[in-house]
Amino acid sequence: MAAMFSQNPLMNGPNYSFNDSPRTSAPEGAREHRFDPYTDNGGSTLAIAGADFTIMAGDTRLTSGYSINSRHHPKLFKIGGTTADQKDATIVLSVVGFAADGEALKERLDAICKMYRYRHGKPMSVKACAQRLSTILYQKRFFPYYAYAILGGLDEEGKGAVYSYDPVGSYEREQCRAGGAAASLIMPFLDNQVNFKNQYIPNSGEGHALQERERRPLSRNEVEVLVKDAFDGAVERHIEVGDGLQMMVITKDGIEEILMPLKRD
Amino acid sequence: MFMARSEYDRGINTFSPEGRLFQVEYSLEAIKLGSTAIGVATSEGVILGVEKRVTSTLLETSSVEKIVEIDRHIGCAMSGLQADARSMVEHARVECQSHAFNYNEPLRVESCTQAICDLALRFGESADGEESIMSRPFGVALLIAGYDEDGPSLYHAEPSGTFYRYDAKAIGSGSEGAQAELQNEYHKSLSIADAETLVLKTLKQVMEEKLDSKNVQLASVTKERGFRIYTDEEMAAVVERLPTN
Repeated sequence: MAAMFSQNPLMNGPNYSFNDSPRTSAPEGAREHRFDPYTDNGGSTLAIAGADFTIMAGDTRLTSGYSINSRHHPKLFKIGGTTADQKDATIVLSVVGFAADGEALKERLDAICKMYRYRHGKPMSVKACAQRLSTILYQKRFFPYYAYAILGGLDEEGKGAVYSYDPVGSYEREQCRAGGAAASLIMPFLDNQVNFKNQYIPNSGEGHALQERERRPLSRNEVEVLVKDAFDGAVERHIEVGDGLQMMVITKDGIEEILMPLKRD
Repeated sequence: MFMARSEYDRGINTFSPEGRLFQVEYSLEAIKLGSTAIGVATSEGVILGVEKRVTSTLLETSSVEKIVEIDRHIGCAMSGLQADARSMVEHARVECQSHAFNYNEPLRVESCTQAICDLALRFGESADGEESIMSRPFGVALLIAGYDEDGPSLYHAEPSGTFYRYDAKAIGSGSEGAQAELQNEYHKSLSIADAETLVLKTLKQVMEEKLDSKNVQLASVTKERGFRIYTDEEMAAVVERLPTN
């Protein structure tokens, strides 16, 4: 379970999110048996809400320890469509952490969205889907899905909506969020580039009088470039991130999927 | 019912050779004995009205509860066996709360009605290992009024488990006369105040007792105020407004 906390003070040197903590010595002949249900499959996700769009992104590498199990294993899923290819879906779920749990979570949320449409005769709103995802996660409070989920879509007013979760269902609507192995690398970059944190107007005052740069909504193009830059940076510094970048752009016209290469080293 | 008394009356889930379920049909008869309840839907909201049968001058009329809240945006009026309605309303309330808990939004009126009707046919001998909850069908019909994202709506739910949406509907002992009256008087551009008078006027025609502000009850469901039972003062004001009173 140590792997659930990426900054493990027991480990000196580089912090990998998988469990490589040193074995403590056991008496001769002793054998340890334990149930080890979780693996960290690495990878990173990212979501940014715009004025009338939401962009979700994730890399496509799937790791286990120092191995790369797959170079193309998507972390982004369309949710709640009526067809097998989800072409009329309006909501995207991204999951990172333990890939099997993430997949199971996706299947469950999608099935619930389909049932909701049958029962209530309307598609689920992102707000409703967000609350439902939270209850799904909390229902497994004592054997959680080891998955950091982010849900993206458009709200009732057509504005971009991003909801981020912890593995047991705490959630919050935000402007942007990074998740997974390189979250700690990407999030400060987002704070600075999306919410303009630590950006001040030059010569606007001394000390506390210094004025912050005013926030403005980013255009779709700007966000796409930001996402690519964020992942290029993460790939450079984190061994579990790379291979491919999967991006989904959610607008009122539907969901556009974009695949781009990332460094494969 | 001409086919009176046959072996098919007994088995509660047994079809007669003509394909009828007698116990369900009898439950519909039970409603025709109940007090009259009326619902009228307008573009501004829905009005529910019931007659309270005051069988004794010693009866405290406020204890006769025939209109109840299901959620902030849904209410219902009943006719038939009051006690049966309790389990249906309880089920509807739980369903509404569970939907709000899971989806952070109010349950739609149609979905709420469907949830109530899902209960209706859970009577009789149950399948292997499955526990059945009721020995007989419900003896009560409901008028379910609510306001959701599609605006105001009124539904009628029967013990047979079928439900329909209505602009205006009357149930109970005076329903035939009342329905005919509603048919004549209803039009799409009724205001809330118009609907209040229409409901009371119609009740007045079919009630055996003389209508006053104590032996009828009104409730409304609107976008602004949700479900609300009228206070004694409001009741008095509406009764006052009635023509030739």
